[in-house]
Amino acid sequence: MDNFRGPVKADCEELLARFQATESVRYEQFLEVWRDMNFSSIFYSKPEANERRMFARLIMSVASPYFFPPYTFQIRVAGLYLLYGLFNSQLITPKEKIRIALKDWEDAMQFQRDAVNAQHYDVLYIFRKLLSDKAFYFTAMPTPLCYGEKKEDRKKTEICEEFVDPSSRPQELITTDVLEEIGNIHEHYEGMKKSIFAEPDPNLNLIQQNLVPKLNGAILTYSSWQWNRTESEQQQDAGEGPSNQESSRRAQLIASIKSRSYGQVAEASKSRRHRQTQLVPADGADFSQKLPSKKKRSPSLKTRTQLRFNTQGNESEGLTRLWCLSAVKEEKAPEKRKKKFNWNPEKSSDPS
Amino acid sequence: MAARSSLMHEEKQLENVPAYEFINVNSNEFHIGTFRDLWLDVLNPKVYSYCNSAPEIEDVEFIEEMGIEPKTLEELKIICSVDSLRSGHEDADNVPSDPHLSTLKLRKRRQDYKETLTRDTVDRHEVYANEMEMISVGKKPDNPRDLIPEGEIILTFNIMYPILFQRFKYVRAYQTLHVLGSQRLSDLRDAICCVSDLQVFGEFSNTPDMVPQFISKDHYKSAFFFFNGTFFNDARFPECQDISMTTQEWARTRDFPDFKTAKMEDTSFYDLKMKVGFPYLYNHQGDCEHVVILTDVRLVHQDDCLDIKLYPLITHKHRVVTRKCSVCHLYISRWITTSDALAPTDPCLFCDQCFRMFHYDDKGNKLGDFLAYAYVDPGTFN
Repeated sequence: MDNFRGPVKADCEELLARFQATESVRYEQFLEVWRDMNFSSIFYSKPEANERRMFARLIMSVASPYFFPPYTFQIRVAGLYLLYGLFNSQLITPKEKIRIALKDWEDAMQFQRDAVNAQHYDVLYIFRKLLSDKAFYFTAMPTPLCYGEKKEDRKKTEICEEFVDPSSRPQELITTDVLEEIGNIHEHYEGMKKSIFAEPDPNLNLIQQNLVPKLNGAILTYSSWQWNRTESEQQQDAGEGPSNQESSRRAQLIASIKSRSYGQVAEASKSRRHRQTQLVPADGADFSQKLPSKKKRSPSLKTRTQLRFNTQGNESEGLTRLWCLSAVKEEKAPEKRKKKFNWNPEKSSDPS
Repeated sequence: MAARSSLMHEEKQLENVPAYEFINVNSNEFHIGTFRDLWLDVLNPKVYSYCNSAPEIEDVEFIEEMGIEPKTLEELKIICSVDSLRSGHEDADNVPSDPHLSTLKLRKRRQDYKETLTRDTVDRHEVYANEMEMISVGKKPDNPRDLIPEGEIILTFNIMYPILFQRFKYVRAYQTLHVLGSQRLSDLRDAICCVSDLQVFGEFSNTPDMVPQFISKDHYKSAFFFFNGTFFNDARFPECQDISMTTQEWARTRDFPDFKTAKMEDTSFYDLKMKVGFPYLYNHQGDCEHVVILTDVRLVHQDDCLDIKLYPLITHKHRVVTRKCSVCHLYISRWITTSDALAPTDPCLFCDQCFRMFHYDDKGNKLGDFLAYAYVDPGTFN
């Protein structure tokens, strides 16, 4: 089921991005995007109860982080709407719940207060509706944890940067109060140092001069730089001309390097002559067959035993099967090898 | 003074808000009882109660708190109606043929692939798993006294199986148990099922009918949990020994800090300080060691199984392929023989019936020379 995590995340982010583009927090707008994408169909599947439940659990765990910081208020609203939509359109009973951790509850309450202050009644109504519908599990941690589980790829926890406010940590750190405090301490420090030296040498710099104005200046430069950068990025995004061309040029370059390196085949050593490498054109289908062979498993014990007994059994046909004490019936036709499901078609095929 | 004590109190509270110690691996250590109190403090009792409050009351409250007109609320209700979320597509049991969501594209491919597999039999195990779920889902007790009190906590434990087979090194086989916060550790111990509790010792080839009904569980009752630096020993029966002593003495000679001991029947989960997602130990039958992981802690929900008698509740069991009798290939093995001249392999497995027909004559006299032991299949709990 974890294989669905990537696509689900992509779908949710597309929905959120489209909602973000509307620059609104109204539920009508969300509903429009939801219906346009036909998002409730995400639950449609063959009615296998367990699979449906696992999927509902998965999509809830993917969607719920959008309701919490560090996302912007608008994305958090969208996250709430998304949870509401998902909770009500899932196809199983009893419905899968939304997990909310104790440490995140304060954020949810702050969110509610912000919504009250801004009089976003639709947001409030939906939050209260979810609470009164008993849509939440009140838990210790946002997801069940199990030590030693397979390490997921970082994609799972990666946050979508477009949904987050630009960071303002330096600005938060250096407030006017803090500046004043630093100024005072600095003065104190100067006095102390002066008292150590009975006759201060005028050429000796006891302390750094103008510490506070310098600090203030640095913060201001930083924030203006940050602002300028986002501005210029937006402009670049708007007029995609030059960056687009550049990236495609890069892609062409990479492709040409790849084709050159795959175009040559190293000659195998003498001992491996019987398994000489062959040049396979890097077209989609062939490549996909090649890849799985890399990590081919050794045959199972069952097939190995069967092979061994088959070679012996060829000589004396009516031999009893030693390990099951019954006469050999007609040999089964060799079963067609089952093809394994390929979860990531993009990765194995289409290397360019 | 009072201010200081309240500050200390607050600090203590903060300590017990679970947060990540390592992101997505395990939480920090917190006191489960205090954690529950913290939730109950911040929540309106309506939110976790089992009965739904009347929608009219909800409406009035909403209007009062927000200071809005009833007309506005009506509008809100229409806008936010659940029905408008649904799409016109009515066939929810099939993936739409031209999906544009990437999830559906993947599912469509998977569904098409599954249709190419020929599997016309219903998976027995799936059926069984469903049945197991049906017993507990949304179950209300017959007797109102057995109702779980509101605001109770459910803990989810994964109990790993010890390495019975070589392949358990690669598959993390486990069972999942739900227990209530007010239950004792000994309740959890009794709910854990493990084949090493069922073994019968001794050689019975001369007296196959005399197999004693006593299993290891009745003979060797000692067990302990090791949570967070404390050994919780089972001391309910006079035969129980403190089998953690060996470990403790060993540790003492090697300059380890001292471990605490406690009795598991005197400890409820509320008294524990634990980390979510962190591996702990359950040891029984001397050396049968299970890794125990607390995966989840949460308040009881009205859709949970509310019958206190059904807890600890098993929600997941790893299923093992059973070893069949080597004669009939039909029944699960009950006997294992060694140095058996009649058997094709050494050791060899037999079901009860085949074993008797094969090794004894009509009058129950032993034929040939062999040693027979009782065999408990690891798949017994399937």
